[in-house]
Amino acid sequence: MPKVTIDGIQYEFNPGETIIQVAERNGIHIPHYCWHPKLSVSGNCRMCLVEVEKMPKLVIACSTLAMEGMVVHTKSERAIKGREHVMEFLLINHPLDCPICDEAGECMLQEYAYRHGTGYSRFIEEKNQKPKRVKLGPYVMFDAERCISCSRCIRFSKEIAKADQLTFVQRGDRVTIETFPGKQFDNPYSLNVVDICPVGALTNIDFRFKARVWEMSATKSICPGCARGCNIDIWVRNNEILRLTPRLNESVNDYWMCDHGRINCFKFVNAKDRVDGPHLRKDGELIKVKWDEAVNYTISELKKFNPNEIAVIASPFATLEDNFVLLKFAKQVLRTKNIFYNPHIKPGDQDDILIREDKTPNSTGLKLLGIQTSENGLSIETLSEFIKTKVIKCLIVVEDDPIASNSKLKDVLQNLDTVVVFATNQNKTTEYTKILYPAATYAEKNGVFVNFQGIAQRLRPAISTIEMERTLDGMALSRLDKFGTEFDKWARPVKYDAMSTWKILSQIARGFGFKFDYMTSEDVFIEIGNNYRAFSGLNYESLGDKGYKLNLTKVIEEKILV
Amino acid sequence: MVVLIPLAKIAIAISILLFIVTYLVYFERKISAWIQDRIGPNRVGPYGLLQSPADVLKLFFKEDIVPSAATKFVHSLAPVISLTVAMSTYAVIPFGPDIEIFGQKVRLIVADVDVGILFILAFASIGVYGLTLSGWASNNKYSLLGGLRSSAQMISYELSMGISVVGVLILAGSLRIYDIINSQQGWMWNAFIQPIGFITFVVAAFAETNRLPFDLPEAEPELVGGYHTEYSSLKFAMFFLAEYANMIIASCLITTLYLGGWHLPFIDSATLSYGLMPLISVMIFVAKVLFLLFFFIWVRWSIPRFRYDQLMNLGWKVMLPLSLLNLMWVALLVYFFKI
Amino acid sequence: MAVKKRKKDLHFFERIYLVEIIKGLLLTLKHLFKPKFTLQYPEEKIEQAPSYRGRPVLVMDNGKERCVACGLCSRVCPALAIQVQASETEDEKERYPVLFEINMLRCIFCGFCEEVCPEEAIVMSKDYELVFTRYDDAIFGKDKLLVPVEKLKDRLEFVRTQMRK
Repeated sequence: MPKVTIDGIQYEFNPGETIIQVAERNGIHIPHYCWHPKLSVSGNCRMCLVEVEKMPKLVIACSTLAMEGMVVHTKSERAIKGREHVMEFLLINHPLDCPICDEAGECMLQEYAYRHGTGYSRFIEEKNQKPKRVKLGPYVMFDAERCISCSRCIRFSKEIAKADQLTFVQRGDRVTIETFPGKQFDNPYSLNVVDICPVGALTNIDFRFKARVWEMSATKSICPGCARGCNIDIWVRNNEILRLTPRLNESVNDYWMCDHGRINCFKFVNAKDRVDGPHLRKDGELIKVKWDEAVNYTISELKKFNPNEIAVIASPFATLEDNFVLLKFAKQVLRTKNIFYNPHIKPGDQDDILIREDKTPNSTGLKLLGIQTSENGLSIETLSEFIKTKVIKCLIVVEDDPIASNSKLKDVLQNLDTVVVFATNQNKTTEYTKILYPAATYAEKNGVFVNFQGIAQRLRPAISTIEMERTLDGMALSRLDKFGTEFDKWARPVKYDAMSTWKILSQIARGFGFKFDYMTSEDVFIEIGNNYRAFSGLNYESLGDKGYKLNLTKVIEEKILV
Repeated sequence: MVVLIPLAKIAIAISILLFIVTYLVYFERKISAWIQDRIGPNRVGPYGLLQSPADVLKLFFKEDIVPSAATKFVHSLAPVISLTVAMSTYAVIPFGPDIEIFGQKVRLIVADVDVGILFILAFASIGVYGLTLSGWASNNKYSLLGGLRSSAQMISYELSMGISVVGVLILAGSLRIYDIINSQQGWMWNAFIQPIGFITFVVAAFAETNRLPFDLPEAEPELVGGYHTEYSSLKFAMFFLAEYANMIIASCLITTLYLGGWHLPFIDSATLSYGLMPLISVMIFVAKVLFLLFFFIWVRWSIPRFRYDQLMNLGWKVMLPLSLLNLMWVALLVYFFKI
Repeated sequence: MAVKKRKKDLHFFERIYLVEIIKGLLLTLKHLFKPKFTLQYPEEKIEQAPSYRGRPVLVMDNGKERCVACGLCSRVCPALAIQVQASETEDEKERYPVLFEINMLRCIFCGFCEEVCPEEAIVMSKDYELVFTRYDDAIFGKDKLLVPVEKLKDRLEFVRTQMRK
């Protein structure tokens, strides 16, 4: 293999690689703005200047191919001086509005000005005036003054989002970015430009001015928006989710996530309609009760029915652990085989980039557990018939809204004797339930989703419920979380009285006299491994941050338990 | 009458004593403030005059805390000893010459004891029990150290004090305080005749009353209040009272022994009406005492506290030889001049 | 400062202490009669110098706060006394604090917030009288923090000339 010398050390490279690629791969950071590993090379920011021996001028590392015997200096005096001058040019017209800029704290211009800048400005002329608040599309706000014209956003929309909606207009110091006349920057991946914009020129309207980045904690998690299961960071301040950002995972979502996931997949967690504490219907009203009371009542209700009279709706929104315990509960405690799930497929809403038409994050997980969309003729479509004919008298719904999927159910629901619902938020089904348990959302629990590729990925709790304590449960902590006392307003967050479904089910099962003594969700996951070959030998550590590709070929038809 | 007059005397003496103590505290605070360029108490009553009564009232209402590990009986007994002793000593100090009220000849003294000086010395020695017992009974290392220091200090300085007094006794030829005062008429103040004795006595008096250059038993910075660390409320007030009462007694004693009591040169020989004479005498006596009290306070806010080894050095290596020197001087005076 | 003498260097009169004690007594006596400069606090008050660091306040310019809610004061505050919530405004400054609270029980009057502020929007005032009877009273919101710029002129001048040379 050919070799290139960077800063005195020889590195092997594949022909066709540029200097910056070789350097990044070997942990040498060359400052850059316009270069992005997944975008084409543009070479217009000039920040990645390096010195190459026998070349008369400094060259940009992003577009110079590495050559056999090339000797590159990234930290030589000339290279450093060169970058200093580039920094000076970039800062000439950049406004000093970091205090109001959302990017502050994660801004590469700040970072490099600090690391590679001179620390003072020789520029005494008036700065350029450009439009400050341009709404490029429904989600993205553009500040032309802050833009350093790196063209990352333009290349992203052209190359990754396949929607050529942005372009440079004007020239020289008047250059700015615009959409084509009458067009909006509205492709389903538009918000990714906010992430890749190295400065604060493009900001997320949804997150705008909500919090400074250093006030939040970031928790590695999985987007529940579709079967893709994009890796995300959940940004939390004062126990409230403020934004989601994609997290690099080359085998799932690369650097990207879709706008739908980013905008819609966290608001329900802190929404007003969250179910807070277990509820029982008394005189037609859902009344909040103590956990013990709800559990005891549930047990006495469930004991009234024959196994065949009970139907259980599992949830592709819930974790693998929740569904496994539900399955075990149905088969061992209730002795019913009537367990199926409600698929959420939006035909056609799928592309080659990320979005999948299966809008649930864990349907593959359910299939692996052996839960199907229909069982013994029972499915979401036929359920209303079974209820009408009084074959099914009791319905258990876990983290789903069957009435929203099948409106016919609404009319027959009064035929049921008992409905038990585990729900995160109030929905159409909770309006009819007799017993309502508050389920923890994906952001409040540990667990595993299996995406459509068969990659098992981990969820981590980002916001805490009443039963959790940020520090004790090892959750991500911001500075405020660490040092707050009960007298600080920012340490008195809204906490919901909710629990992971597997925990509630185990409690009920123990009430029936069964041994469902799991301490953590990892205990459940390990038991899944003991029962299903696809998961055998796995634990949370082996899933890591980027998931574990399951071997699907031999297990998809397997039906064991228990 | 035999009973009533002494009782009246006791009542008057004690109420005057308590009154003076109360305002002595006020003046101590005022003078200390002035010396430190401050104003001092000025909020309670006009010029802050009601500050001391307010403090007393406050002490009354404080919770009386007794440490659980303390020897309770002795802990309560100690302040009583301190105060009783201080007050008793007061009994043998005359304030002025004899007066006549309603035809009754009244001596301005509660008990005219023949061995007045011995009585005072004896009682002053008992006073140390109050401090030592309180230090021991509190079951606290600071209190114990304070008590220990006070007993060591008392013993060291009582010696030179006693020997200084012997000089006065030789000159007066009597242990009765009346006789001592009367022997100092005119310019014959013992302070002038035996200055070394005067100085040693004053220094010893400071040490005996635990006043500032010698307040090692309390020594707030080191001992957190020393023997009265564990006292609060009325018991603390008793110690407080005893300290100031001791100060007044010491002033009275210095006045009687060295500053000629109620005598003042030229006043004795002046022809004054018989009724006015005792009044002026009492005023002279009180004035001298007040000056000495001011001197006590003044010294407290001027001179820093001794170190313990310095205290002992001074007591044994300086004070004792000096008082013996004074004794020899007086003996020589008597031998050669037959005074 | 007087030069401290070793014991062996003292001459006779210094050694017998008496003279020195009298000197000391005369000094304190002199002070006894000197004029006093105690201030009768609740009735008389000191006009604090511009360098005085009283409670932090927000500068109000033309009826609006200068603050743009950048959160730097909140970040730099060693006692975590400051809480800021930003929001968008139609004004030129784009951003303003919809909520700005200083917990005066946490505040240690270090002045870091003033030093770090890029807008000269928070300054230390001369106000030192802070008494509360309830925890919640100690949390000062914008209503208590906003002070017109006219009242803070000398402090702003001081900040400009002395602290940012």
